[in-house]
Amino acid sequence: MTNGKKLSEKSIGAVCAVISIGAFVILWYWGTQATQLGLLIPGPVDVLKAVGAGIVGKVGRHSILAHAGYSLMRVMIGFIIGSVVGVVLGLLMGWYRVAEAIFNPLFRIIRPIPPIAWIPISIIWFGLGEDAKIFLIFLASFSNTTLNSMAGARSVDPEIVNAARMLGASERKIFTTIVLPASVPNIFAGLQVAISSSWATVLAAEMVRSSEGLGWMIVAGMNNNDMIQILSGIVMIGVVGYILAIIMRRAEDVLCRWNKSGK
Amino acid sequence: MPMEQERKINHNIIVECKDVSKTFITPEGEHPVVKNFELEARENEFLVLFGPGQCGKTTIINMIAGFEKATVGSMKFMGKEITKPDPSRGVVFQSTALFPWMTTMGNVEYGLKMAGVPKAERQKRAQKYIDLVGLNGFEKSFPVQLSGGMRQRVGIARAYCNEPKLMLMDEPFGALDAQTRYLMQEELQRIWEAEKRTVIFVTNNIEEALYLADRILVLTNCPATVKKEYIIDLPRPRNLVSPEFLALRKEITSVLDSTL
Repeated sequence: MTNGKKLSEKSIGAVCAVISIGAFVILWYWGTQATQLGLLIPGPVDVLKAVGAGIVGKVGRHSILAHAGYSLMRVMIGFIIGSVVGVVLGLLMGWYRVAEAIFNPLFRIIRPIPPIAWIPISIIWFGLGEDAKIFLIFLASFSNTTLNSMAGARSVDPEIVNAARMLGASERKIFTTIVLPASVPNIFAGLQVAISSSWATVLAAEMVRSSEGLGWMIVAGMNNNDMIQILSGIVMIGVVGYILAIIMRRAEDVLCRWNKSGK
Repeated sequence: MPMEQERKINHNIIVECKDVSKTFITPEGEHPVVKNFELEARENEFLVLFGPGQCGKTTIINMIAGFEKATVGSMKFMGKEITKPDPSRGVVFQSTALFPWMTTMGNVEYGLKMAGVPKAERQKRAQKYIDLVGLNGFEKSFPVQLSGGMRQRVGIARAYCNEPKLMLMDEPFGALDAQTRYLMQEELQRIWEAEKRTVIFVTNNIEEALYLADRILVLTNCPATVKKEYIIDLPRPRNLVSPEFLALRKEITSVLDSTL
């Protein structure tokens, strides 16, 4: 019964999504065909055609998928380093007062600075290559993960910690077998924000200085006054960002199964 | 009953509290929760601390468990001063305090894992206690998928699995509905008969106290101290409506009323 109900709710949601996206595309199409809007912006058919052509052929020196791949690789490297450091530092700060006393004042100063403010420094420090971009993405993912991991470690139920002590867990085991898993839902909330912030940052970094990637693609489009290239880049950015968010949500569903009632 | 007799003449003292007081310092001043508390729990005895609502019974359990320290007084477990929590003193919490990210098996075997028992061995031992509490078939369920009564069964199995000398139970059935509560009392008695331990059990429910206890300590309200002691030697399993049961119930309730 409930299963059938869930299914029908889900399919209604899917139908609504198709209708709303469809209506938007039709409006866009109609606007570019029938009004002055066509002078400012290419229609959806042209953009989709350009995306298709970019996948088969090339935009600049690479195909669109290769550009997306470059951007994604940068995000992955920076995101993985940043979130590992963020989780470790955040849990330590949330659980051990000494760690908080040492790192938190510094962290509080660094945290509100948007990652893109570091672009000039990163170029001076690391040059124009990959390192500077990875550094920026590291910053983008690091501060969000740290903040949420810290909140997670702070909110561990003290009675659960007592239970672990009663069962013979050492202080180190309490950190690794209790504080860490208990913080996973908070950590994931941080990783969600971190991944979208990383994705935004890589594009900004690529727009400043790069010879490939989706950020390069839209800036190159601007320099050549090529609206179709800009829009096909934006479409790809949206698609990749959407896929990243879905992957993160799936990972959370699997790892936080215990946190949800039912199945 | 020779078994009953045997238990009673066994005078090995497991827990000994002497003149224990606990005072919490709050911004409003000092707040005494336990005062001049005395207790002796003997081997394999089912000892019930019975008293009204918020009267420091949990604090007594927390001190015997080693989670909190007494302000003054001495607390000994098997002759040694209690300083910190230890697997030889199992605790069953009212909130269950299960590890929500672990399955039934994961929760029950946790203590053995901490003790470094190899996986195959500890799963075998955990299974014994999972079966004992009647959770066979729910080994892979997470706490969120279990009912309140089943969760507390996991809590009991988890504490039992370390084979402690002493079980501390802090209103373990306080959050359950009446029907489940009766069932769990019967179950706990069955489990205790199968695996005898010294039990210190806290409750504010007179029927529960009389159904389970070898001995009841009636506590006063904040600060908690022992008001009166009753030795309950009704045969088990007890009949909740027998005249002896009802007479004791009436008497203890009147003692309790006079403490309020």
